[in-house]
Amino acid sequence: MTALQSLSDDLAAAVDRASAALVSVHARRRIPASGILWKPDVVITNHHVIQREEGIKVTLADGTTVGATLAGRDPATDIAALRLERPAPTSAALGHGPLKVGQLVLALGRPGPAVTAALGVVSSAGGEWRTWSGGRIDQFVSLDVSIYDGFSGGALVNSAGEIVGMNSSGLSRGAAMTIPFPTIIRVAEQLLTSGHMRRGYVGVGLQSVRLPSAIASQLTPARDVGLMVVSVDDGGPAALAGLHIGDVIVAFDGHPASEPSEMLAQLTGDRIGQIAAVRVLRAGAFADLLLTVGERPARAGRR
Amino acid sequence: MRTIPVENDLSGLAALVRSWTVEVAGVDGEGRGSGILWHPNGLIVTNAHVVARTTRQRIKLADGREAEGKLLLRDDRRDIALIQSGISGAPDLPLGNPQALAPGALVLALGHPWGVANAMSLGVVHGVSLDRRGFPRYIAADVRLAPGNSGGPLVDATGRLVGVNAMIVGGLGVAIPVNVVQRVVREASQSGALPFPEAFAA
Repeated sequence: MTALQSLSDDLAAAVDRASAALVSVHARRRIPASGILWKPDVVITNHHVIQREEGIKVTLADGTTVGATLAGRDPATDIAALRLERPAPTSAALGHGPLKVGQLVLALGRPGPAVTAALGVVSSAGGEWRTWSGGRIDQFVSLDVSIYDGFSGGALVNSAGEIVGMNSSGLSRGAAMTIPFPTIIRVAEQLLTSGHMRRGYVGVGLQSVRLPSAIASQLTPARDVGLMVVSVDDGGPAALAGLHIGDVIVAFDGHPASEPSEMLAQLTGDRIGQIAAVRVLRAGAFADLLLTVGERPARAGRR
Repeated sequence: MRTIPVENDLSGLAALVRSWTVEVAGVDGEGRGSGILWHPNGLIVTNAHVVARTTRQRIKLADGREAEGKLLLRDDRRDIALIQSGISGAPDLPLGNPQALAPGALVLALGHPWGVANAMSLGVVHGVSLDRRGFPRYIAADVRLAPGNSGGPLVDATGRLVGVNAMIVGGLGVAIPVNVVQRVVREASQSGALPFPEAFAA
């Protein structure tokens, strides 16, 4: 047997190994999307492919179709968790470790009865990043694989046939990206317990503004941009702490605050109920306020 | 299974496949693409849409040999055309089994995309679509194809022909499986459309 033939057999075997956990998710008008059977009764898919919340159906690898209910969806990370009405016999074999540039990967989907495959490499891999809507993703991974119908919600598989991520074309203007499995587990566990991602909440609208140089030179690290409070939610944590419109936040819990995303990054679910120190510039002088991080209210029907 | 002596690299495999891959061009300059030397008696398989409206072709091999070709049959529905060429002494064409292609298996496409002669691209089987009787209807492959690849071979990792590249759909290459080509050739030999019908009696 030639090296090529054995590589080909290995790739086909990797697809075969992972395919038992690849399912079709019927929750939109077009052709079905793909999903990953994470636990015998839990399917993970993309948030953006769930276009109806009632009458969701999942077709398993053995061809049987099972009803499913939406356990929760997180638009910020494009992850949705479905609970099957009847458990499936198998679940996914997961791979570990960060993905490396150049690593051979297969993008699998199940847009129809059969599993489909595309081959490529990890084209770039970085550190933790935030999606445009503030979702924290453990590793930035973009792929050099072609996107086809039903790609979203499918699995990224390494050469050993282990599932290392879930593919999405909905995170970065249609480019092929993968959500690494540590992120999926973190988000899905919260979706399964509380139905949504708990996120910290301060209750202010913010706008970056330039600071006077006399003020900027007093800050460490030095920076000349702060966040002006442009709105305060009635009864929210910021209102209770005494923040006013016109205050300029320069630090949140000791971390510099120059961009709204920097403050958003601090407001993870585990901060809910904790006290945070906020340093603001008010009437030309610094003031320190203490606020209790609240929980961002779930917005019904928000996609 | 026949064993085919190929080196353990892609260029060795490409050289082997190139020995039975041809360039097809209509004598009037119309209808350009790739083709497959199907039989040592000179029979060539390509796509119906490659030959278009022309009935006489120039056939060119990778080793520089050229010959004339005459259209024997054009099956527009299955997008297959058969051309009789004056090429003799072609190597035996190793045939693969499209039914045995699993998603993820390596496949190679050879052809002349955008006029680049004997180019190769590599990918994996995306999926094989079956007809109502369970025979492969088309092979979708994650390979990069371009105009000029039409009519050229899709081969498996051992260099056996599994399909004739025909279309690009949603970025995926779509090939007509070799079992469909065999059926076209068999029907043509039964109907008397081939000059050497005994060669295809099977």
